[in-house]
Amino acid sequence: MSQLSAVYRAPDVELKEFQIDASKQHYNTTNGATTGPSAYVLQAGQIDVDKPSEGRKNAQGEFTYLSKLRMHLTGLQDDLNEYLTQRMEQAKNKKLKQADEARIKAEIENLLDGGDDEDDEQ
Amino acid sequence: MKSSHRPELSHTLSLNIPFENERQAEIAVNALSPDPILKPQDFHIIYTKNASDLSILFSAVDDRVLRVGVSSIIESVKTVIETIDELQ
Repeated sequence: MSQLSAVYRAPDVELKEFQIDASKQHYNTTNGATTGPSAYVLQAGQIDVDKPSEGRKNAQGEFTYLSKLRMHLTGLQDDLNEYLTQRMEQAKNKKLKQADEARIKAEIENLLDGGDDEDDEQ
Repeated sequence: MKSSHRPELSHTLSLNIPFENERQAEIAVNALSPDPILKPQDFHIIYTKNASDLSILFSAVDDRVLRVGVSSIIESVKTVIETIDELQ
């Protein structure tokens, strides 16, 4: 049977693979770190009525295959959310930096072109 | 693997979910695929059943759209898995 996995691609990223490490607690819970209400909301007394149910266990007290799959998928969802949020942050910073550079360049060009004369006239 | 039909949707994520059997994978495809995409010009999904595996290919214009779309669909997949688990 194949594994739960994900592969991300973007123009600047050839390939980024996501795999499950079942030994980590991160992949053995139905409560995701990046899903559900924020810690701030919970501390304010909000009750999470949409909290996911615990995994189902069989007669031997072990989690069923589908419960494990759901827990692994929750961990993978956290991995993907964290990675893509980080990428969004990088893109935002890059955009701000480019805008800042463009503004400085425009100001320098304006000064070199004698644009300061316009200010003097006012 | 199928690629995005639109080159502008350059940010992709391929997700492979191994179900217990082919029937479960088929139920998942049938449950998920009718959901309409709110902004098809920005986001696209292809569901493929390969034996007992469900493969989902997400394509988006940027990482923000991809993150929102992928997380939303994963929530739906988890609901499908939980429902099958409870009913069998």
